Amino acid sequence: MIQYAVRRLLLAIPTLFGVTILVFGMLRMLPGDPAQAMAGVHATQEYVAQVRRQLGLDQPLHIQYGRFMAGLLRGDLGISIRTGLPVSREVWSRLIPTLELTGVSLALATLVGIGVGVVSAVKPYSIFDYVSMTAALIGLSAPVFWLGLMLMLLFSVQLRWLPAAGRGGLANLVLPSVTLAASSVALIARFTRSTMLEVMRQDYVNTARAKGLPQGTVILRHALRNALIPIVTIIGLRFGALLSGAVLTETVFAWPGVGRLIVDSISARDYPVVQGAVLLLALAFVGINLVVDLLYGLVNPRIQYD
Amino acid sequence: MQGKLLLVACLLVAGLVAVAQVPKVGGEMVIGFGTDPESLDPNKITSAPAGMVLTHIAETLLFMTEDLQIAPLLVETWTVSVDGLTVMLYLRKGVFFHDGTPFNAEAVKVNLERFRKATYAFLLFPRVQTIDVVDEYTIRFNLDKPFAPLIPHLTHNFVAIVSPKQIAELPEGRDIMEPIGTGPFKFDKWVRGDYVRIVRNDNYWGQKPYLDSVVFKVVPSDATRLVLLETGQIHAMMRVPPLDAPRVAATRGLQVVQVPSVRTIYIAFNYQKPPFTDVRVRQAINYAVDKEAIVKEILGGVGGVSDAPIMPLIYGYSPQKPYPYDPEMAKKLLAEAGFPRGFKCTLYHPTGRYMKDAAIAEAVQAYLAEVGIQAELITMEWAAYLAFLRKPVNEATFDMFMLGWGCVTLDADYGLFPLFHTSEWAPVGSNRSFYSNPVVDNLLDQARVETNPATRLAIYADLIRVLWEDAGWLFLHYEAQINAQRTVAKGLIHHPREYILAHRAWLDQ
Repeated sequence: MIQYAVRRLLLAIPTLFGVTILVFGMLRMLPGDPAQAMAGVHATQEYVAQVRRQLGLDQPLHIQYGRFMAGLLRGDLGISIRTGLPVSREVWSRLIPTLELTGVSLALATLVGIGVGVVSAVKPYSIFDYVSMTAALIGLSAPVFWLGLMLMLLFSVQLRWLPAAGRGGLANLVLPSVTLAASSVALIARFTRSTMLEVMRQDYVNTARAKGLPQGTVILRHALRNALIPIVTIIGLRFGALLSGAVLTETVFAWPGVGRLIVDSISARDYPVVQGAVLLLALAFVGINLVVDLLYGLVNPRIQYD
Repeated sequence: MQGKLLLVACLLVAGLVAVAQVPKVGGEMVIGFGTDPESLDPNKITSAPAGMVLTHIAETLLFMTEDLQIAPLLVETWTVSVDGLTVMLYLRKGVFFHDGTPFNAEAVKVNLERFRKATYAFLLFPRVQTIDVVDEYTIRFNLDKPFAPLIPHLTHNFVAIVSPKQIAELPEGRDIMEPIGTGPFKFDKWVRGDYVRIVRNDNYWGQKPYLDSVVFKVVPSDATRLVLLETGQIHAMMRVPPLDAPRVAATRGLQVVQVPSVRTIYIAFNYQKPPFTDVRVRQAINYAVDKEAIVKEILGGVGGVSDAPIMPLIYGYSPQKPYPYDPEMAKKLLAEAGFPRGFKCTLYHPTGRYMKDAAIAEAVQAYLAEVGIQAELITMEWAAYLAFLRKPVNEATFDMFMLGWGCVTLDADYGLFPLFHTSEWAPVGSNRSFYSNPVVDNLLDQARVETNPATRLAIYADLIRVLWEDAGWLFLHYEAQINAQRTVAKGLIHHPREYILAHRAWLDQ
């Protein structure tokens, strides 16, 4: 298993290399000029040219890419065009709030999603099933900025239970993570329900029941365990969706995360920051995929790594 | 004038409230705004949010008050020689930077020399040749030609003075991120994308602040900023969406403040490309568009119809009669110019950059269609747009484009010279419409070197009249901004530079 993990990590290197080429290339294909964007509407040509020289943007593309990669191999992501700060510092300080938010959201989505899904599957076509699956449909379709504002109006403005926005203590995490988790809860719940329904029809579930095992054991040990593989896959994929989808939640809740940093940096054509942030996110995504693959083995011991 | 009245009105309100009560000392005030400062280095900042934060920490030599008068700050008095070539600045004594370094002429020189190497120097001090330290508290500027806007330019945040010790210790190529100035507040903490916190400077040379600290909180969404204001998580905020203003004003514990902005929004023509080379066509377009309706209906009355290429509070402003909405007149002029059935053209515009920019472009398109001009709207993302509008005349492909210009120095030179002088044609400068008129060039040059204020104002009055009759742009409007605050927040100044200033603010709670 360790050997497998190491091999997977090594395989991630070409993936990340591909990411650098894609991000680097796509940014340069965008119309617009970072020097001009940084200099602003009032700048003269002379100033724009000076900024361009300072940033090394007057060099040919392959040289710029070579410099970027050379820095990367030394662990140096470069300097932000907009702020003049090291990209690693800039991205790192913003990555933590995002991971905090997506981590809590994912945990929430997993617990609630699987819980609701299982209950719905056990009692299909019950009131609970109808209500929760309708709620899931709404959760899946509600735009984040609308849902976020509604939650704010209810829990902060009307009830005064929770702070409306901004990063701070645990209470500050509640509304943004619920907002971000909503669509994932819905998806995981619906997915769990359908997978569970299928598993519950299997012969071994009937066998377990026939053996006289208690209902809880049948559901959790026999049915859920076998239904988990596709659910774990979906959860792993949701992590990526949460990371990239966090930008709206971050904007609505004034959360200083990396999604907002990337969007602001694209507007300012701050190439180094976009490159660095996307690379780190890609790394996180690769890492999560690996964790998911390793989890398969834990969930189902029949799966071997070699 | 509308702007001035509004400003006076809100100052009066602020003043009355301040007089009526004894300020309370202590507490932390939180001000919400939309975008994180890009830098806190005076030589690098370009945005109003960055300027707002910096103003509390690092002071400028002179100060532009909220009614746009020049007031002493680190410079107590100044003189300009009769020929306009020597400017003497007499500095305030007994001032210290937050790190204990004394403020003196040497400190000013170090800052100004650093600034002259920085990128914006050309803009503010184009004629300054040398800067001398005359004695410990006197600085002399030596110019090769008079440059009338020099004194107002000393109020700009680019020339905020920071500790010479900090400059000396700054590693090569790095920017100042934790400025050490002489201001009423000291830098405390900056969590990127989240907030900047400043704390009271107990050794401030002037009247010390009442507040213990001020937090400038980054809240990108307008709607969220409003919610935070309502729940009391912030005490004041920038930029209330115009449609929400009446509701906020009606909410107990909240009040809205409308502040004029120095930004003029215009649609420029490609002055070198037919049919826009014909003054009748340009005038026709000005007659064809109902500016009153745009300001009233689309902007909800937040702003004013332009009656000059610069807004009323700018030094050098001279009001003209706005082109009335007169489609018949427009059609008549178009027919005279040889376009009785109009023509087709392109209109480029940004989206989300200025208040309701895309909606205004659509309105203009509809008005133009009524007189037979088929304008195709093309929108671009901001960074792409800026690059697009920086092409030389033989590569420029637009017919018309929408842009805004904030006359941040509050002097007409900056609001007119870069936009209309032939030497400023893109890609060199900001004359992106390739406007060229020898009379205008001549007047712009004269106004720069004229040292007699009355004559200078007369030159600008002539100049603006020429530009107006020549219909150099489709003159649209100047913006205003609506801020809001909790009524417990007292003594805040809502400044036309798009700042909220907490220098003398206090919390009544």
